[in-house]
Amino acid sequence: MLPMRPELLKGHLDALLLAVLEDRPRHGYAVIEAVRHGSQGALDLPTGTVYPALHRLERAGLIRSNWEIVSGRRRRAYQLTSSGRQALSDQRAVWHQFSTAVTALLTRQPWPATT
Amino acid sequence: MASHHLTAGHPGSISAVERYLTELAAQLLPGPRAARTRVLTEIRDGLTDTIDAHLAGGMPPRTAATTAIHEFGDPATVAGSFAEELATASARRTIAAFILTGPLVGIWWLLLLHPAPWRGGVLAALIAIPAIPLIPMAIATAAGTFATTGRLMRWLPETSATRALTAATAIAAICVAADLTVLGLLSTHLATGRQYPAPLIAVAATASFVRIAAAITAIRSTRARRAQLPST
Repeated sequence: MLPMRPELLKGHLDALLLAVLEDRPRHGYAVIEAVRHGSQGALDLPTGTVYPALHRLERAGLIRSNWEIVSGRRRRAYQLTSSGRQALSDQRAVWHQFSTAVTALLTRQPWPATT
Repeated sequence: MASHHLTAGHPGSISAVERYLTELAAQLLPGPRAARTRVLTEIRDGLTDTIDAHLAGGMPPRTAATTAIHEFGDPATVAGSFAEELATASARRTIAAFILTGPLVGIWWLLLLHPAPWRGGVLAALIAIPAIPLIPMAIATAAGTFATTGRLMRWLPETSATRALTAATAIAAICVAADLTVLGLLSTHLATGRQYPAPLIAVAATASFVRIAAAITAIRSTRARRAQLPST
């Protein structure tokens, strides 16, 4: 699989984080694993940088966090708020529109390979 | 999982994690203590969980620790990624501090300089205390910054940490302006022989001098923080 540049991911990290929290609350490491696993390893970013993204989403009121005991340890677990759910569905719609447009353009006119 | 517990003893991996955290702590921007503690706690937890996952996958402890640390990113990268969050948290805290303590300073000046009871109305109040228009200015700046660095980020353009720090500086400067205005006014009144209760003068002037000192400190530290932010 081709490596993806972190800048490419940056604009979509919010949506990805909201998406992995959709089904259940997760703590930091579980969020990182879910992103990595869900993307089959294509999204590779310094995992330490996922935490500030989570903090920003919490500041925006899209997720909330609280301390939980996970297998005998205290962990901060994140969960979607109702605004988070709404934001996720908005971002899904935007992404769908965007990816449809980009796919259409890229498949009709394949760019010559650059060196 | 008890056998994989870091605290159960993998001195090599513990010290690697501690070294990493020490370096991260040194490179993190100054910010509210609670925010910094939370960052360091979460990174420690995340590293511990990552190391555990590697150990469970059969990696030797030392390799598990170095692999986990490598995955997290070097301390400079991770510290840099938290810069905006910590700077925003410190801007919000500074703004909240000045807005919440505002009434504690203002009340004494209101008691001291309020217009005579028979001269009601906004104009009389403005003439008596010309610093009054600065209050809505500060509150509006604070409310705008809080909204656009918080819940309203979804609908309004997000305020960057740099701009939030600028807003904090502006609010501190407004406080200095208000304090200097009322202190100046008081000294003019006193020079013209007007009488005021001495304890009230003492309390009001002390409150303002304390706030001026706090505002100057805040302006200096927000300026330093702004300079430390990576330019994006």
